[in-house]
Amino acid sequence: MGASSSNLTVTGLRPSTRTGPCLGDMPESCVACMFTYLSPPEICSLARLNRAFRGAASSDTVWESKLPHNYRDLLDLIMPPERYRNLCKKDIFALLSRPVPFDDGNKEVWLDMVTGRVCVSISAKAMAITGIEDRRYWNWIHTEESRFNIAAYLQQIWWFEADGSVKFPFPADVYTLSFRTHLGKFSKRLGRRVCSFENTHGWDIKPVRFELSTSGGQDSCAECFLDDCDKDEITGSYKRGYWVEYKVGEFIVSASDPATEIRFSMKQIDCTHSKGGIYVDNVSIIPSDLKKSRRMLLK
Amino acid sequence: MTSSKTIVLRSSDGATFEVDEAVALHSLMIKHRIETGGADSTTIDVPEVTGNTLSKVIEYCKKHVEAPNSDDLKSFDTDFVKVDQAVLCHLAKASYYMNIKGLLDLSSKTIADMFKGKTVEQIRETFHIKNDFTPEEEEELRKENSWNLFV
Repeated sequence: MGASSSNLTVTGLRPSTRTGPCLGDMPESCVACMFTYLSPPEICSLARLNRAFRGAASSDTVWESKLPHNYRDLLDLIMPPERYRNLCKKDIFALLSRPVPFDDGNKEVWLDMVTGRVCVSISAKAMAITGIEDRRYWNWIHTEESRFNIAAYLQQIWWFEADGSVKFPFPADVYTLSFRTHLGKFSKRLGRRVCSFENTHGWDIKPVRFELSTSGGQDSCAECFLDDCDKDEITGSYKRGYWVEYKVGEFIVSASDPATEIRFSMKQIDCTHSKGGIYVDNVSIIPSDLKKSRRMLLK
Repeated sequence: MTSSKTIVLRSSDGATFEVDEAVALHSLMIKHRIETGGADSTTIDVPEVTGNTLSKVIEYCKKHVEAPNSDDLKSFDTDFVKVDQAVLCHLAKASYYMNIKGLLDLSSKTIADMFKGKTVEQIRETFHIKNDFTPEEEEELRKENSWNLFV
């Protein structure tokens, strides 16, 4: 340092002609301080500025602040220690920012790349679905449209029920739980996606009941008709032919909870009418702010 | 310690500033120097900081020490960083060397906000940062950060 007085003009400060404005030679730890106010994608982008920025962009201090507080518990649950033991914090973040399967691959966890917050998804494969073993009622369909590449398709049934649960070290946050479903059977015809609603019935007669409850005693429920009660023949139903995320409710995890267990269900068990023509894909548990900002279709 | 004691701070370019000891202690670096320097240390050199910047740093410390609970502290801080980017960078560096957390956080956050929404090229231009990478290093960097889909 020991810069001379070449930049001592009080007004209209010009960059010093000798060393240039000092962001270029900012110490790494100082840059690291700036990075605490930036998101992971911004940090990775700024790593390209110069060597000092690149160094700060790999700093453990910076990345530890982007990881959830209980990331070690998360790692313990989902992968063997050899896989993460020698990784720096940035690489741990990178590892966790892609969906990591656990529980025999029927569940996934990932960190939102921008905020570092934890998201979990539970496949229909991990749920208890009434009649799932009977192919007159349900079939497993392999599809790229599911993040698990498989979804349960219902032909028809009277007692419709899908239950599941997950026990997970969620970091403190407010989470939204949703069921992802699709009315109508889709397929590819000459490269185009087509939907058939031949089988889709019963969802406009009585609503479906969604419920969730946590080990901490929080409960939430919602009821919804999955199909439109007055279908306009011209415009068709906007509930058909699309993947819809039905919000069941929210729950809070506080900092002191080591692991939270959540039970959830989706039911329509009025046996006076049959229902069918629906896919049940997964349940997602996403921090509520994240959910709102991504504007997914909510009930 | 009586509050009437003053300390003289000397910048890299020889400018001197007489400040109340309580204000000077807001810098943990100076606090440490005083505590380890003995009773005679009334003049403290701050060779990492020029006079212009030191004067601003002192202004910050004064406000935060003398009126820490005042209602206008927030607006003081907001106005304090309405300076051009060169001054801002000097403030960030000075607060880092002098270990003044509040000012480091304030200036870092302000600079970070100036980065948002700009491309790397735009930031290089605004802040006059030289690209000191070799083409091989740049390629390596691209691979290093390829996991981040937003980059």
